[in-house]
Amino acid sequence: MLEMKIKEKACRGCKLCLDVCPTECFIFNDETEKAEVSVLENCIACLSCDYICPSGAITHNNHHVVANFYRNIHFSQRMEKFL
Amino acid sequence: MSGDKVRLNTEWLCDCGGCHVAIVDLHEKILQVVENIEIQKCPVLTDVKDYPEADVGILTGSIRTEHDRHAAEEMRKKCKTIIAFGTCAVYGGLHGAGLAHTSEEIMDYVYKTTPTTKTDFIPDSDITGLEHVVTPIDEVIDVDLYLPGCPPHAHFIFESLSALVEGRTPKAGQDTVCAGCKRTMKKTEVAEIVNSQDGIAEDDVCFLSQGYICLGSVTLDRCLAPCPNHGIMCTGCAGPTMQILSEPNHDIRTEVSERMARLTKIDKDTIISHMEKSAKTHYAYAMATKMIGNKPTFLIQQWIADVEAGK
Repeated sequence: MLEMKIKEKACRGCKLCLDVCPTECFIFNDETEKAEVSVLENCIACLSCDYICPSGAITHNNHHVVANFYRNIHFSQRMEKFL
Repeated sequence: MSGDKVRLNTEWLCDCGGCHVAIVDLHEKILQVVENIEIQKCPVLTDVKDYPEADVGILTGSIRTEHDRHAAEEMRKKCKTIIAFGTCAVYGGLHGAGLAHTSEEIMDYVYKTTPTTKTDFIPDSDITGLEHVVTPIDEVIDVDLYLPGCPPHAHFIFESLSALVEGRTPKAGQDTVCAGCKRTMKKTEVAEIVNSQDGIAEDDVCFLSQGYICLGSVTLDRCLAPCPNHGIMCTGCAGPTMQILSEPNHDIRTEVSERMARLTKIDKDTIISHMEKSAKTHYAYAMATKMIGNKPTFLIQQWIADVEAGK
């Protein structure tokens, strides 16, 4: 089953994930000033939130991963070597 | 690498020396490191002129002179595993911005025309020649591992070296600097970009929300975010995030502008244009590497020409 997690400590409360999510998966907790996953069932794994999140705080697991169609080859050859 | 101590060589190419100092920043933990590691060649610790056989070689700095190239090649011959250590080694570093100028222009400026320079000649002996451009070391030799950071924080150095000794994968995340920043990002009515010298930012609110250009969201966290947590905008010294490096059309200026435009009332194109005008600053640390230089979105020569043409 699809999983989506927000690393609470990393969330800066910008609400950009709420802005970009096409299916309204997120809510904003006014007390903690952090975003939370509200309706995971809505998630279509478009990863828009993942890309916009300034902290890289949102991760998806068990989603359908498509093949890379065009990536930075020079970096991709080195990606696994980064510490 | 179990049993006997791991033999370590380090070498210092074109850089400020801060990466070697960062290793000393391990403080008491360095005692744990030397329990398992035998330091052989290390320019700041040992007087070893040649390159002994080693298991691990740490190279800091980039290739700027003929000597740098020679040293990197010798390290590769003698070390089983080479780590490109620090932003200069991985991406070329701050002086990579030199690619915007010819070597002659740089030498003339440094030795002849700087306002504080009294000499009018270029030294021509005792030092090796300046290469045409700054080159990250992986364009000269094969590199096995990369640890960016300017310098990498001791936390990441210790984790990386420990993992290497223990033969496990290091726990180095792909968080950005924002993940470690204590400031709150909120939406504001700010309508203009503020230069750092023109204002004093609030302490607990994100710089982007306040109209200051901060590269925290596009920079890999290898520092634990000391700058934004102490009132200084992130300048991107650890180099771009994996997302920017892997996606050809994601870029430092496009990502910062996307987020900043959503947080403030500043138009995205205004932010992009502002960042292009000061591109040598924003891209300085990583512009020498092909990982950035080959991006279809990276047009530094055109941006510089536009500024010079007064556009």
